[in-house]
Amino acid sequence: MDDTFFGIVNSGLLYLLVGIVIVFVVLLSLLFAKKAWNRALELGYTKAQLKKVIKSTSIATIVPSLAIVIGLFALAPVLGNAWPWLRLSVIGSVTYELMAADMASSSMGVALTDLPTVGIDAFVNIMFVMTVGISAGMFVLLFFGEKIQKGIGSMGKNRKSFGVVALECFMIGLLATFLPAFFTKGVVSVLTFFTSSVITITMGLIVLKYNIKWLKDFILAFALIGGMASSVLWTGLLG
Amino acid sequence: MKTREQFQKEMNKLGRIGILITLILLFSVPLIFGIYHNAIPTFKDFILAASGLLVLFVPIAISEVFIYTPIFGSATYITFITGNIMNLKVPIAQNAQELMETTKGTDESDVITTLAISVSAIITIIFIALGVILLVPLEPIMTSDAISTASSYVLPALFGALVIGLLKSTGEIRVKGKVKAGIIPFIVLFLVNIFVMNTYDYSGILLIVMIPFTVFIAWILYKKEKITIEIIEKEEK
Repeated sequence: MDDTFFGIVNSGLLYLLVGIVIVFVVLLSLLFAKKAWNRALELGYTKAQLKKVIKSTSIATIVPSLAIVIGLFALAPVLGNAWPWLRLSVIGSVTYELMAADMASSSMGVALTDLPTVGIDAFVNIMFVMTVGISAGMFVLLFFGEKIQKGIGSMGKNRKSFGVVALECFMIGLLATFLPAFFTKGVVSVLTFFTSSVITITMGLIVLKYNIKWLKDFILAFALIGGMASSVLWTGLLG
Repeated sequence: MKTREQFQKEMNKLGRIGILITLILLFSVPLIFGIYHNAIPTFKDFILAASGLLVLFVPIAISEVFIYTPIFGSATYITFITGNIMNLKVPIAQNAQELMETTKGTDESDVITTLAISVSAIITIIFIALGVILLVPLEPIMTSDAISTASSYVLPALFGALVIGLLKSTGEIRVKGKVKAGIIPFIVLFLVNIFVMNTYDYSGILLIVMIPFTVFIAWILYKKEKITIEIIEKEEK
């Protein structure tokens, strides 16, 4: 057995434990998908429409997923492969995990990059800290999820009530929070944002003008790829 | 056919059992691994490492449940279990709702969102697994300057793609003038960003304040009839 830090954090035991959690979450996702599929058929959607949703979702998922995989490449040199694999697949988010690992190790007085030299005790401590930190929302959902859902359900029920407006305004609030930060963060951020918007509008107009319905499924994916690719160009041009 | 209540009850039950098992499995990983290597941290060591993180992230994690449940409906459970909410699940939900032209809060929107989120979650998990398998051969590409630059701009690119869809209403219930609710929050935060600090890294915490603020302004505008609800004749699905 490899007793070095990376030998232990990339050991079969950790892969096995992580693998079990991930397989369970995949099965659970499949069960959710199946229930939603059956319910959608009951509500009158056709299989062709649902396949269209699956197709468009799949295409649109690829690019953000690649960004998550890049997070894996950032975490693996310090935390090994198995643990970041779990953290990015279940509950985690790429931005949280990097920050959480960094904060936990610096609280112990260790730079994250020095972790492999400190030993396995600190690594296990970081595993616990990252798990507890990310699980808080899950406990809220576990105990209060149904109540919150019922409240939301009643908001959307009355088609003429303020509840409908409030539901729509959640997304507006999200935009109002993120956009000022993007617009003042730097020119590259602004240009990336607008490149992506322009691609979305242009493709939307093409779909309408030439009635190319299949193109609609690809708008988000193209806008994302175009926007992100343009950020490389803007960074190159503007430094 | 099941009623809306029956379906939601079923999804709630599935979601809660799913969360419970996921939590047990998640905590088992460091526990079993730590016991095997005789490396379980003392409570003092754990608190030392966790305190800063917990103070910052526990309020965010709790408020996220309230912020995102209205967007995800029955998909909330699977959304939280599989994570990557802002950078993946929000755009995927919006994309699917726009594609099927559903109205938020309706059964149709709920079920389409759940289907899309579940499928998206599976694909992401597959991608990350491929990343783990191909870690060594892919490393030169994934750590190249161009790829790391592009990946750091994923959120501006996502929002750029989504902004048009978010500003218009789809489905049979249209909320006219909803954008007005976002103007004052936008201006306030814009000024904070110019004169005080860039809030990009604090967006998670700010949402706790900004979303209720936006809804409050929407309420005032709704009372003054500056925001109105319009019901459009249902088109063929």
